[in-house]
Amino acid sequence: MPKKELIRVSNIDVFYGGLQALWDVSLTVRTGEIVGIIGTNGAGKSTLLKGISGIIHPQKGTIEFDGHDITNREPFEIVEMGVCQVPEAGRLFPAMTVLENLDIGSYNRNARSKRNQNLKEVFEHFPILEARKNQLAKTFSGGERQMLAIGRGLMSNPKVMLFDEISLGLSPIVTKELYRVLREIRARGITAIIVEQNVRRSLKEADRAYIIEAGRIVLSGETKDLREEEKIRKAYFGA
Amino acid sequence: MNTLTDLAIPITMGIMLGGLYALVALGLSIVFGVMRLINVAHGDLVLLGSYLAFSIMTYLGLDPILSLVIGIPGLFFIGFFMQKYLLNRAFTISMEAPLIIAFGISIVLQNLFQIVWTPLSRGLTTSYTLKSFVMGDLHLPLVYLLDFFVGIIVMISLHQFLHKTYLGKAIVAASQDRGAAQLMGINTKQVYAFAFAIAMVFAAIAGVFLGLTFPFTPQSGVSFLIIAFGVVVLGGLGSVTGTFIGGLVMGLAQTLGGYFLGTSAQMLIAYLIVIILLATRPQGLFGR
Repeated sequence: MPKKELIRVSNIDVFYGGLQALWDVSLTVRTGEIVGIIGTNGAGKSTLLKGISGIIHPQKGTIEFDGHDITNREPFEIVEMGVCQVPEAGRLFPAMTVLENLDIGSYNRNARSKRNQNLKEVFEHFPILEARKNQLAKTFSGGERQMLAIGRGLMSNPKVMLFDEISLGLSPIVTKELYRVLREIRARGITAIIVEQNVRRSLKEADRAYIIEAGRIVLSGETKDLREEEKIRKAYFGA
Repeated sequence: MNTLTDLAIPITMGIMLGGLYALVALGLSIVFGVMRLINVAHGDLVLLGSYLAFSIMTYLGLDPILSLVIGIPGLFFIGFFMQKYLLNRAFTISMEAPLIIAFGISIVLQNLFQIVWTPLSRGLTTSYTLKSFVMGDLHLPLVYLLDFFVGIIVMISLHQFLHKTYLGKAIVAASQDRGAAQLMGINTKQVYAFAFAIAMVFAAIAGVFLGLTFPFTPQSGVSFLIIAFGVVVLGGLGSVTGTFIGGLVMGLAQTLGGYFLGTSAQMLIAYLIVIILLATRPQGLFGR
């Protein structure tokens, strides 16, 4: 069973483009867990991930990772510590090859020595990446791009991965495949936060979830309980 | 002699000059490709390389090419700290701030050249300045051959660096998507500083070979910058191959322009090509 707290976000206020995007948000992620963040467009899900990754620093509150205060750390330092984000739409380097994209994943100093081992594992998860390793990333389809983005994230030798909308705009078959790999990744001991617009999918894959509305956490708990929760059913399933 | 062999000289010299022009433009292209900054001080920084070589040659008696062992690290550190302490901060203020700083650097350098090296025309004159080499029936200046090969060697090294090393790949990644590069653990500010420093290494090399090929004054930076602009407009900013082809076109346009229209109008054709290309293909011949 998951025990140790790996990420602890305490009462953060985050401003984005001059407007407040998060109000007094708190969240914890324990080792080995998959935690879902559920909310509508513009609710602040991505802002929360940007805060953890150090892209935006909160005005108030703290963020800790593995016992260290990372509230005001730079993004590259946070990656080095083992927190890696797979950003929305993949954000690949389009004019670089598959292999070069993966190498960029292993840029941080703690990942370089493990580059070959991690590359082997990425190719085991996604054989298609090995078959097409010299192809430019921009020639990939949406689903392949997500696979490469996840592979690139794995190359950073992460303890925690933050997935921002990995299945957005993808077919059910591709989505299923991506989540199969997510379970494999979890089996390797990597903790994950998943941000999903697909509530059913989130509640199915995650152990616990936080519901975020207009920048505030309005509900949280074990997903098995949340599935029964009246409020969610009303807001997201319309029943 | 018939017209064909007559033409062979400007064509060969144009191609060789093209290697040098690509080298002059390379630093400008890198800084734009990575930082999106049009470094208007680039020509003056190249000229700083020429003057440094001139002083090292005059006072230490070192050959200008050998003087690069001092010039390259010198300009590398100037570039690194300029980006780290001046430009990185300016980027957080606005998009215009770094451009204004670049203008400032340009003016400071031009005045520095006037004070330290006087407005006299200088040149890097060596034992091999007037030597020529024979290619078929043609006698061509040896420095042009050096210009061409140095241009090629530098282009190949840069290409290898950008594709084979972690730092090189990080520079490419940061130029394609800065935000994603940060999320992949790249310290983009440090990478910017290295990119600028590397651009300055190319400026140092370009400065020496320009100085070996042409005389220069404190105002020469402007003409170097104009050549570099022409090359990157032709080749597309941020592309190594494009920069090389752009250099060849500029070199050929200059020598053929000089052949047909006389030396005073030698740049006319070069800039007509640039203007026509800007009007029809603003992304450059090889731009994305």
